[in-house]
Amino acid sequence: MSTSILSLKNVTMRFGGVTALNDVTFDVKEKEILGLIGPNGAGKTTVFNVITGVYQITSGSIEFQGKSLAGEKRYKITRSGIARTFQNIRLWGDMTALENVMTATDTHKRSGLVGGLFGSPISRKEEKRDKKRAQELLDFIGIGEYADRLARNLPYGVQRRLEIARALGTEPKLILLDEPAAGFNPAEKVELAKVIRKIRDAGYTILLIEHDMSLVMKVSDRVVVLDFGQKIADNTPQKVQDDPRVIEAYLGVPEDAS
Amino acid sequence: MINLRDKGAEIWERANRPQRVLMAISFIAMAAALPFLGGTFLNTPIADYQSVLVYPIAMFVLMAIGLNIVIGKSGLLDLGYVAFFAIGAYTMGLLGTRTSLNTWEILPIGIAMAMFSGIILGVPALKLRGDYLAIITLGFGEIIRIVALNLEVLGRSGGIIGIPTPPPIFGIEYAFDSHRIYYWTLLIIILFAIWMVRRLSVRRAGRAWESIRQDEDAAELMGVPTFKYKVWAFVLGASVGGAAGVFYASKTLFIAPDNFTLQISILILACVVFGGMGNIWGVIAGAVILGYLPDRIRFLSDARLLVFGLVLVIMMNLRPDGLLPRKKREKALPNKDSNKDKS
Repeated sequence: MSTSILSLKNVTMRFGGVTALNDVTFDVKEKEILGLIGPNGAGKTTVFNVITGVYQITSGSIEFQGKSLAGEKRYKITRSGIARTFQNIRLWGDMTALENVMTATDTHKRSGLVGGLFGSPISRKEEKRDKKRAQELLDFIGIGEYADRLARNLPYGVQRRLEIARALGTEPKLILLDEPAAGFNPAEKVELAKVIRKIRDAGYTILLIEHDMSLVMKVSDRVVVLDFGQKIADNTPQKVQDDPRVIEAYLGVPEDAS
Repeated sequence: MINLRDKGAEIWERANRPQRVLMAISFIAMAAALPFLGGTFLNTPIADYQSVLVYPIAMFVLMAIGLNIVIGKSGLLDLGYVAFFAIGAYTMGLLGTRTSLNTWEILPIGIAMAMFSGIILGVPALKLRGDYLAIITLGFGEIIRIVALNLEVLGRSGGIIGIPTPPPIFGIEYAFDSHRIYYWTLLIIILFAIWMVRRLSVRRAGRAWESIRQDEDAAELMGVPTFKYKVWAFVLGASVGGAAGVFYASKTLFIAPDNFTLQISILILACVVFGGMGNIWGVIAGAVILGYLPDRIRFLSDARLLVFGLVLVIMMNLRPDGLLPRKKREKALPNKDSNKDKS
């Protein structure tokens, strides 16, 4: 729990005149669950987007396992071991749940298009292995029974969890979850907390964006708080909850405060 | 709405191996027997029925299969597909009249030329998306035609004449007017193209294309090298178009820029959309109907294109997803309890 797997150093992201991230620095340590919280518009999803290469940062540096991610192609960043889910579900609706995960596991195939065409032994073996792996992942997340259903016809909660299974399909070391509990009822949230812990126990590192405070505080080992693009706290859940700056960011300053 | 595609797939999936082989063979036999139905209601009153089978029908089917890889599978709107057809045809025309190479030797060269131009066009163009890609491919289609119109060596507006027919192969003669032989040869090329597309669709490449079509950004963020697969789709589509072009030139003996207008691109696109984007059987059905219909109703003379357009409009209203739409069905669930969704 000590070596850091991902480190952001003085990351600044500007869109024209808007500074979405201002000099943000934090580490994600191996095999931890790091919660990333903040009021709306604080820049949480922007953090995900700069890590996964959707945006190129204005200044600063992002290192994953000691290697800079600057200028890397997005699919290469994913292949190097960072996977994510999306705040607004972005599954491939016309594919089955299993195919959704298999498309992600394809990341680690050796056989190419030509091998697939002529049914080379490597390609056939990999196809079989991937199918098995994808099913395993669906079972792991607890949605194995939906494997053959088209993603768009799945119930909302299953879709959210399928996003996690798909991200795991790329065999990441670090997985970024963007509001995985959005729209969940309390029972589903409890279920999800179990799944998140289970993923960590399986050896993955998790960076979690979540609006549901009780969930974040329950599962996270550490919490980073952003407000207006700036880091205002980085501590254990308990200490963050008591931090006056965090309370201020969420609730505002009482009028009689000095 | 009845989903013929799902019905067909269901029958196919229920069948065991010998039944499948039997179905495939009878299907191919039926297709191969088409040239003998000339005297029946299928006859095209004015044009020679057997020659209509070769061009436009079989040629359209082949090109529609190729374009379907680009549009139907990967969702890349290519409005200049005729360019690859033209490149194949002009390769045949040029090499066939100026060198001693024969059609079978030129066929791989034509395919390679088309694939190469697919890369040349694809690498810069595929950085663009949607409408921008459509416009740049549209331009490419026109550039090829205008180049042919202006290059001395390509015969300018006069085109290339005296392109040799294919030499005999396995003792089969390719006489100029034996349309049946050309049709059967094309049928073999079509079957090969179907095999290729089906093979790729069920594997990694098929999944990659499908994910790109549905959400390209999500695909890239899930580790799919989207650009590489888009170029591959383009190049494979081009190879089929190039093969069609080589064979077309060798069949008609004469090619000119007028044979490669934007209208061909639009027609092939219509075949794909009419038949059902992304579903190879739909695309084939679409190409057969759109290739055949204009000649079948030729007796209407001037009103012919009006009726053709009307059929298209009615059809797209009745079945907006095409004749045989892409897969929407789910496989049977493994156990019945799984229908109950947890909430």
